[in-house]
Amino acid sequence: MRTIDNIRQFITSEICGGHCEPITDTDLLIDQGIIDSMGIIVLLGFLEEKFAVRIEGDELLPENFATLAAISTLVDKKNGMNAEG
Amino acid sequence: MEFVLSEEQIDLRDAVIRFARQEIDHDLPSYDKEGSFPFESWRKCADMQIMALPFAEEYGGCGSDFLTTVVVLQALGYSCRDAGLVHAIATQILCGLQIHLFGTPEQKQRFLPALCRGEKIFAQAITEPGAGSDAIGAMRTRAEQTEDGYVLNGSKMFISNGPIADVVIVFALTDPESSRLSGISCFMVEKETAGFERCRSIEKMGLCTLQNGELVFDDCHVPKATLLGREGQGAIIFNESMEWERSLLPAAHLGTLERVLETSIAYAKKRSAFGQPIGKYQAVANKIVDMKVAFELGRLILYKAATLKTQGKRAAMEASIAKLFISEGLKQSCLDAVQVHGGYGFTKEYEIERDLRDSVAATIYSGTSEMQQAIISRLMGL
Ligand SMILES: Cc1cc2nc3c(=O)[nH]c(=O)nc-3n(C[C@H](O)[C@H](O)[C@H](O)COP(=O)(O)OP(=O)(O)OC[C@H]3O[C@@H](n4cnc5c(N)ncnc54)[C@H](O)[C@@H]3O)c2cc1C
Repeated sequence: MRTIDNIRQFITSEICGGHCEPITDTDLLIDQGIIDSMGIIVLLGFLEEKFAVRIEGDELLPENFATLAAISTLVDKKNGMNAEG
Repeated sequence: MEFVLSEEQIDLRDAVIRFARQEIDHDLPSYDKEGSFPFESWRKCADMQIMALPFAEEYGGCGSDFLTTVVVLQALGYSCRDAGLVHAIATQILCGLQIHLFGTPEQKQRFLPALCRGEKIFAQAITEPGAGSDAIGAMRTRAEQTEDGYVLNGSKMFISNGPIADVVIVFALTDPESSRLSGISCFMVEKETAGFERCRSIEKMGLCTLQNGELVFDDCHVPKATLLGREGQGAIIFNESMEWERSLLPAAHLGTLERVLETSIAYAKKRSAFGQPIGKYQAVANKIVDMKVAFELGRLILYKAATLKTQGKRAAMEASIAKLFISEGLKQSCLDAVQVHGGYGFTKEYEIERDLRDSVAATIYSGTSEMQQAIISRLMGL
């Protein structure tokens, strides 16, 4: 499964509890309230474990979690892959 | 995961215990009664480099890892009876960690050496009169951008070290229209800044030497250089720092719990009723057994959280469990210790009553026990 689809599935089932509309790559996750300040803790735990990355310091910026596309770009960049990977 | 302390950690722990017993000698009952801060003992702890532990040597720190810092705070909670002073020191270290993790090289150079030496006292201000458990969601303190910086307006409540702080890390709304996750920023405000007022210390039931107070920002202009991290990063900095805080404060509580446990064992062996030591009665012994269980299990989850943080991993779940379990365990143990000591436990002379008063706050600050339960349930996907 592509990184972005993995993350989409996690957010839909674990953060929204399966109760949200299908999330597109460019939906504004923070602005639309899909990810709140507690949700980001859950998401970071998932990303670091699933993709074996460490996200810290300057990478912990809201814009890096604004959309599915942004999150997956960050993860792929950290894993040395391009965003389509 | 193995939790065996290194020889170096054991030596450091023992040195801190010896230091606290010999050097921290202010007259605690009168400081407690008057609610005054023991500046002299603070300075001794600074000279012992306790505040400098986890910071890089280039900033005057000791370069210790986080587990070592936790072990030292536990030792201090065990050997220093002034829990207010220990809390003030933990707050200082936590402010330093935020600067260390999110500050610019200039900010680190400017603030960390004075923090490590204890020359400047630091505080962190999140809670507001109308926003505690929901500090992020209900925050009202604003930081409006100007040409050369920001103007802060609002007030913060219950801030540890606040009334005596030289530097305060303040969380404020920079974009009230956007989501709270991206609308909050963090500023380092120095005490001389015009428009910033530190109000007098609030009287409390416990932790009386710790100075807690309201901080008021009234058209308080701060330059851009005071921004800690990037604009909009405040909520994330808050989340990150809570993982450290919910490991460091419980370390001190665990130390106190160990002392209360030892005191109770000694008393239960010494005090007799109906012809034998009270510890021989199961109703008394079981209270002390519960203390021992809380101590041993608390230590495991605390060291797990600290080890994860030392390895650079996330420990949100472990830190929340440690905070919840140890603070509740300490409160119950102190209550039981008073009971085990009978009428003497209720007197000021035996000092257990002060430990009990101090312990209550542990289940409130850094997120109440109810909020820890809410966090843990959310982390389990509930
Ligand atoms: C000694 C001490 C030191 C402190 N130091 C600092 C500091 O340095 N910096 C700082 O910013 N703040 C500090 N605080 C403030 C502390 O963090 C808050 O008091 C705490 O977060 C609770 O907020 P509150 O007092 O507004 O209580 P409230 O949020 O009003 O809560 C009242 C009660 O309602 C419960 N409750 C609220 N929401 C929920 C919910 N969703 N589910 C279940 N129960 C809920 C709470 O658990 C609590 O029992 C300190 C407090 C104390 C006592």
